Amino acid sequence: MADRWKVLILLSPALLLIVGLFLGGLFLGLIGSLGYMPLLGREEISLDAYRKILASDRFYHSFLMTFYISFTSTIIASILAVGAALILRRHFFGRSVINFLFQINLTVPHLVGAVGILYLFSQSGFFSRLAYEFELIARPSDFPAMIYDPLAIGIILQYVWKEVPFIGMILLANMQTFGQDYEAAARSLGANRWQGFRYVLLPLLTPGLLAAALIVFAFTFGAYEIPALLGQNYPASLPVLAYQSFTDVDLNARPEALAMGMIIAVLSAVMILGYARLTRRYVRS
Amino acid sequence: MSNGTVTRQEDISHDGLSGPAWFALILLISWLVLPLIPLGIWSISRSWFFPDITPSAYSLRAWTYVFSTTSEVLPALGMTTFIALCATLLSAIIGLPAGRALGLYQFRGKAVIELLILAPTIVPGIAVALGLHVVFLNLGLAGSFSGVLIIHLIPTLPYMVLVMAGVFANYNPEIEAQARSLGAGPIQTFYYVTLPAILPGLLIGSLFTFLVSWSQYILTLLIGGGRVVTLPLLLFNFASAGRNDITGAISMIYILPGVVLLLLGARHLTGRNSATESLRQI
Amino acid sequence: MTDVTLENLTKTYPGETIPAVNDVSMRIEGGSLTALLGPSACGKSTILKMIAGLLAPTSGDIRFAGQSILHLPPNRRDAVMVFQNHLLFPYMTVGENVGFGLKMRRLPKKEIADAVGRTLEFVQLDSMEKRKPSQLSGGQQQRVALARALVLRPKILLLDEPFSNLDANLRLEMQQLLNSLHQELKTTMLFVTHDQEEAVALSSKIALILGGTLRQYAPAVSLYQKPQNQEVAKFFGAKNFIPGECASGYFDCSLGRFALPDGAPDTGNILTIRPENFVIGADGNTENSVQATIVSKQFLGNQTRIEMRKESISFEALLPPHIAEPFEEGTTVAVHFPRRSLWVLS
Repeated sequence: MADRWKVLILLSPALLLIVGLFLGGLFLGLIGSLGYMPLLGREEISLDAYRKILASDRFYHSFLMTFYISFTSTIIASILAVGAALILRRHFFGRSVINFLFQINLTVPHLVGAVGILYLFSQSGFFSRLAYEFELIARPSDFPAMIYDPLAIGIILQYVWKEVPFIGMILLANMQTFGQDYEAAARSLGANRWQGFRYVLLPLLTPGLLAAALIVFAFTFGAYEIPALLGQNYPASLPVLAYQSFTDVDLNARPEALAMGMIIAVLSAVMILGYARLTRRYVRS
Repeated sequence: MSNGTVTRQEDISHDGLSGPAWFALILLISWLVLPLIPLGIWSISRSWFFPDITPSAYSLRAWTYVFSTTSEVLPALGMTTFIALCATLLSAIIGLPAGRALGLYQFRGKAVIELLILAPTIVPGIAVALGLHVVFLNLGLAGSFSGVLIIHLIPTLPYMVLVMAGVFANYNPEIEAQARSLGAGPIQTFYYVTLPAILPGLLIGSLFTFLVSWSQYILTLLIGGGRVVTLPLLLFNFASAGRNDITGAISMIYILPGVVLLLLGARHLTGRNSATESLRQI
Repeated sequence: MTDVTLENLTKTYPGETIPAVNDVSMRIEGGSLTALLGPSACGKSTILKMIAGLLAPTSGDIRFAGQSILHLPPNRRDAVMVFQNHLLFPYMTVGENVGFGLKMRRLPKKEIADAVGRTLEFVQLDSMEKRKPSQLSGGQQQRVALARALVLRPKILLLDEPFSNLDANLRLEMQQLLNSLHQELKTTMLFVTHDQEEAVALSSKIALILGGTLRQYAPAVSLYQKPQNQEVAKFFGAKNFIPGECASGYFDCSLGRFALPDGAPDTGNILTIRPENFVIGADGNTENSVQATIVSKQFLGNQTRIEMRKESISFEALLPPHIAEPFEEGTTVAVHFPRRSLWVLS
């Protein structure tokens, strides 16, 4: 009983802050998206904002675009991260230097990465100049558009760049906890190297990999600055569209912005539940 | 992959790398480091036009501008640092007790509370900040330092709590009882016994928290409304305005704390899931 | 019934100068149950891993039925290893775990299911097929690990401290199970242990490994009674080492002349006798007897330890408490060194 009070007292400042700011923010966003904004003199509740955005092509295209970007980035980053982790777990000459370089962009802010990608892949960027040098193109506009482009290649490149080390480090940590004994057991039982990876290591890594991928997906789905810097105007990614609607001079666009915020939040909530399930099952086994 | 006879005996422990593995590794590492290189070169170039592979003229113009008293960069640097320091301090004060509760005690509803604390690290900040904006506006917090500081606590506090929960999970509280029975008061016990034991973890948690705040863009933009100017806001503006040299110089300053952290804590980082996960917010 | 030959097997780990396994040569007879015995980190697990193909030897050869198998990867050696901490794949059921090796060989599903059922019956776990490993007890998990290896009918079964994570009762039960499995299957089995009693109870022959080298490879009785050198003798609990000289069937030392048993080495400068083999207080005139002073006496529960000294030589005896009772500290007694209990080391 004494413990329960102690726990409550210890937790209450953090919980107050998270409930007040985080849940409060989400709640205000929800009622705002329903058109209830007493501070702005609106008090009727309706689903108009949702009806409106779900009927508009602009939202629909943005949603698909964002989903496509997140999905593609997550898949590519996950595959590369598995490969990278398989190599980096070995012992080889210069491993500590390579490890440092592998982790370096974990601490580099997304925005810096986005600018770097911009300077590498824009039509006047480094690779374009390299192509000119080798006489593959005659002028900047001959270089394939990878920034502000409909396929969002620049954005995907940036996310992959940033998230491969993140997923890779989580996989490496997982591999370290399993050790190599499971694979040794599998090899001894007759599995060749590929089978050892496919039937033993990969299933062992799957919960951790999925959890990391869910986090990455949720993040990329809600990130603003990267698509704002590297993305095209139409269809803009969902967070960019939400921000634009929110800062629109027409106050009627606000509930729509909040509704888009809610859609982003609901999607990430699904990811959190998935994450919680995965990590719990993973801890049990 | 084949079942065919292996002519050379291989160790299952895989010491060393094969040729293709080296190639793939070097390709990957180059790709990870590559985007940082043009930033560095831009910061010291005077003119670098298409189709030059390297700048045609170098100068320290961008750096001189960045450090001049008339530019916005130094005040922004100060503002970013100050917000990050305050956010770290507040997160530590609020997060340490919560981490202790989660690390040391089992209680009903713990899983729900952990999920609630984890949630802000996964739900994108924009969804929360859009909702809070009106309230902040009415409380006079929008466009102010305090408003930005408070909104930064949403992403920073959970990391501090999670890191500290991990620290306290490996902490034996009986050492405090021992100190008390030897005559130490509660404050003395905290200062001489608890703090030294959790200090390494607290430092790591603080460094991450600092970096998480340091990297915030959209929260600062939404709540600061352009009146609280931090480095990422300047960086974004200079990048969209095409001032590549100044953008490069600001980028170099902006990545500095993270690289220093990595150099200091590389050993602590590797193999720690919670640590890696907190870096994802940056 | 494959016999396994190790020839000058040596392993030096990268970055180390002292070999973990140094020039080990031995022949493991087909169908035998052999123990590799030694303290932790003596190199015995390294030998097992080299046979399994999980580690490459630095030099030397390993032959199954006369054929070198060094070029074969672990999955094609038919030398299956059972690990100390069972290493059951946590996301597979017990049945899937046991069927794993057969699935890797791409056997038809039906055949796998039959073999899995039969093998699980064999280790008395047929009711557990659908469970996850985490739902089993420690002993059951290790039985599944055994079944998972046995289902493949390996040429040689390698067991790396298979029971050391289990409590004493369970360990006995598992030893009996292994013994009966061996009786029935006649598979060549090589198991690593640091537990003397386990090695003695299970195996027909024991290879004692100390510091990476093979010290003696013989039946258990020989290791106790006829150790090759002082280290082997010490490992098996010998206590008394008396310096002196051999002279055709006798051993001369400062305690006097001792008659040696038939078959004792005729060279060597150390006489040894196990502490439990002394006879104290007998007639002082029989052969191999000396008068010694009791220095200390210590009751150990089921035994009593008596330390004695004559001149500068001290030796210790372990006697049943009721026999040790009359002897007092400080008194001088006649101590008999039975001829058949003596052994000479060099």
